[in-house]
Amino acid sequence: MLKNELIMRNPLRILGNDTDDLIPAGGCGAVVSRAGVGKTSLLVQIALNSMLRDQQVLHISIDDPVRKVNLWYKEMLQDLADRYQVQQINELWERVLPYRFIMAFHVDGFSVPRLRERLEELREQDIFTPQVLLIDGLPLDDERREMLAEVKVLATDMRMHVWFSILSHRHEEPAADGLPLQLAGVADRFDVILQLQPEGKDIFVRALKGPRTGEAQPTLQLDPTTMLIKTAS
Amino acid sequence: MKRELDKVRNIGISAHIDSGKTTLTERILFYTQRIHAIHDVKGKDGVGATMDSMELEKERGITIASAATYCEWKDHEINIIDTPGHVDFTIEVERSLRVLDGAILVLCSVGGVQSQSITVDQQMRRYKVPCIAFINKCDRSGANPMRVIGQLRDKLGHNAVAMQIPIGLEADHEGVVDLVTMQALYFDGENGETVRFEEIPAALRDEASVRREELVDAASMFSDELTEAILEEQEIAPDLLLDALRAGALKREITPVFMGSAYKNKAVQPLLDAVNRILPSPMDVVNEALDLDHDEAPVSLKSDTTAPIVSLAFKLEDGPYGQLTYLRVYQGTIKKGDFVVNVRTGKKVKIGRLVRMHANQMEDIDILRAGYIGALFGVDCASGDTFVSPGLNLTMTSMFVPNPVISLAVVPKDNKAQVNMSKALNRFSKEDPTFRTYVDDETGETIIEGMGELHLEVYVERMKREYSAEVSTGQPRVAYRETITRRAEFNYTHKKQTGGAGQYGRVAGFMEPLADGDFEFENKVVGGSIPTQFIAAVEKGFRNCLAKGPKMEYPVTGVKIQINDGASHAVDSSEMAFQAAARGAFHEGYGRAKPTILEPIMKVVVETPTEFQGQVMGTINQRRGIILGTQDEGNMCVVESQVPLAEMFGYSTVLRSSTQGKAQFTMEFALYKQVPQSVAEELEKKYAEAKKSVA
Repeated sequence: MLKNELIMRNPLRILGNDTDDLIPAGGCGAVVSRAGVGKTSLLVQIALNSMLRDQQVLHISIDDPVRKVNLWYKEMLQDLADRYQVQQINELWERVLPYRFIMAFHVDGFSVPRLRERLEELREQDIFTPQVLLIDGLPLDDERREMLAEVKVLATDMRMHVWFSILSHRHEEPAADGLPLQLAGVADRFDVILQLQPEGKDIFVRALKGPRTGEAQPTLQLDPTTMLIKTAS
Repeated sequence: MKRELDKVRNIGISAHIDSGKTTLTERILFYTQRIHAIHDVKGKDGVGATMDSMELEKERGITIASAATYCEWKDHEINIIDTPGHVDFTIEVERSLRVLDGAILVLCSVGGVQSQSITVDQQMRRYKVPCIAFINKCDRSGANPMRVIGQLRDKLGHNAVAMQIPIGLEADHEGVVDLVTMQALYFDGENGETVRFEEIPAALRDEASVRREELVDAASMFSDELTEAILEEQEIAPDLLLDALRAGALKREITPVFMGSAYKNKAVQPLLDAVNRILPSPMDVVNEALDLDHDEAPVSLKSDTTAPIVSLAFKLEDGPYGQLTYLRVYQGTIKKGDFVVNVRTGKKVKIGRLVRMHANQMEDIDILRAGYIGALFGVDCASGDTFVSPGLNLTMTSMFVPNPVISLAVVPKDNKAQVNMSKALNRFSKEDPTFRTYVDDETGETIIEGMGELHLEVYVERMKREYSAEVSTGQPRVAYRETITRRAEFNYTHKKQTGGAGQYGRVAGFMEPLADGDFEFENKVVGGSIPTQFIAAVEKGFRNCLAKGPKMEYPVTGVKIQINDGASHAVDSSEMAFQAAARGAFHEGYGRAKPTILEPIMKVVVETPTEFQGQVMGTINQRRGIILGTQDEGNMCVVESQVPLAEMFGYSTVLRSSTQGKAQFTMEFALYKQVPQSVAEELEKKYAEAKKSVA
């Protein structure tokens, strides 16, 4: 009941097509923005939305420790519950917790073969079988662009869909196609690209690629105090 | 005893188990000439480190009880409490931190920030203890102090800055470069007692300059004078830099990091210099007491030796000459022959013998001034008691004491053992507030309760060794709780009119789950349907039901009760009748409120080499555990999880065998959670069988 309420009210659904997930299994999505604008909070909301729908989420954090990532989830769920006046938050937390697994890596220690090995261990022992994979904080520099293709293969093999957070830079002009420079040459690997754009005090969520782009998309924002996604007032 | 309070340091040495803190303390005592030979923990000479005063500690190579000691270094008096590293004994760590002004956080340069370091750090934060860090074991293979500094920043959120860089690591570790004076320090002599100052080796000059710049930059946040000197590109005097660092450290906004190898006698002396130069004196710390005459309003204490006495007994020990009470004086001066009052009992106590401790030896003293730590003989009190001058009614803020989560039945072998066991249990429960004991009414067994398997095991061992009490133990039992899961109404009439005075009382209202807290009672009765004088009896009746829940006789928690109606009789109503009515109402409502069993869930953190990560996760999964996450640390991996305590018995053996003894784990209480249906059924079955056998 509680879960259904939160799922139904989550504005993230508006970005979706016919299904609740924005991207199909084996597909990739990206959340792009400058530092400190809210990539992790949007990823955590995507994760919570999946967890509430009983999907298992593997959150890969590059350089942030497990404790810190866990705190993100706890606070975002609390804010979400506060906003929709859902009581019994502890009970809800206990119910969604088994649907999440955090892996923290140092940037140099992360590789797709290593991740595959870990995932196979988890699946073999029937500990965790993720349907959603989040990769937060991986710098998309030249040497790591190749990783995208490897992750896509992994996602297809394991029937997951993947969300990346991608850091863009204020001083860099977008490429000719309007996409941030970091995505140059790799945009075709993504089914959905969401950009967080601060304008004055507001942070807008704009789909640069996906089922509903341009005029067709609804105006979504991140609430600057809670970082929760909301329809623009 | 010297008089300048600004030259006194009360410090703790806190760390993860096996980071080498006892070895470090040992070296400190050697360099400050309190001891004249070095004996290592688990050393070959069989003497053991000086601070491990208990026989058991020597045998296990771990430190269980805090031993207090003092030493002098360059005109400063340093009181040191050596604290235990295992999470089972964290009450000792908590107590130490409560009375200390500063701390050295010892970290292993190979293991880095480990799970216990996180717990200890949280405790330091809770008591706002300023600290400096010492990265030990730089001589060990795989040592990487700069990585540990990174972990201090990332994992613990410290603004950690290197005060030194190592000259060589692992087997080549020779000394350190001091980034404040920009000199190389080497430690000569058989035990590294001679510090030799040299120029920085050419190969390290560039790195030293970069690190010094980082240090100066970080320190400049705390000193305008330093910022000015930087902007004007002046030479930065060491004192200016150290003053800024001290100001930041006292606010806990910067953590200066030192490094070396205590075992190899490298760089302990500069750490002692830092204790003097950076950590606070008692004058730098504001301590508060609670005024019992004014609704426990906080009162700031002054480190004034002429003010009335306020002191805290933070540790008790049973020695050959009777009870030894460790005391920290916060205000005033305690003199031999003086009278003080124990605020908890109101008893007046005469100060007999006053001593200063050095591990398990002592030195008689006549006075103990504000800011100092010492010990009293022959005073009967409990740990955590406040002693004050007659006329004062202040108590030191109470210490955070968690509830025990595990219990064990202990049975003495014979009469002699029974007497000795009683003595031992009496002492232990006075010394350690997380260790409790009671006699089970139904089985007549003596039950001991504590914070984990190892916690209780150590006390059973101590009973045998120190009190010659031969006891056998039962299976450890988990501290389950009962609670309700939905709202339920009650309307109960207690009526008894057979023989003697009659009893009459009716209580109506509802009970519902309470998320935060054990019990809440709300009176919404209007119009006097239950006369005001009986409301307290109703509450008492409800409260009495909490000790043994109706479902399976576990303590009841998380219940809110509201009464909104009732009835009384002019003659037959009494306090007793309303207490009985409340009991009846509780049972009536409880049955309808879908009661359930809660079990303690532990936060279990396993550190394992990466190749065993799969096996470790398997062991947790088999124990109904939820894995919160895994953290890759190069060759090591940390698995964080939540596991029911009931599933954790014997886990150390399982972990050892599945990881070739290469993994270690820590465990601490996290929360209470509803048991799954299958477990609840199992518990109910056991409960029914136990009931049957008693009957």
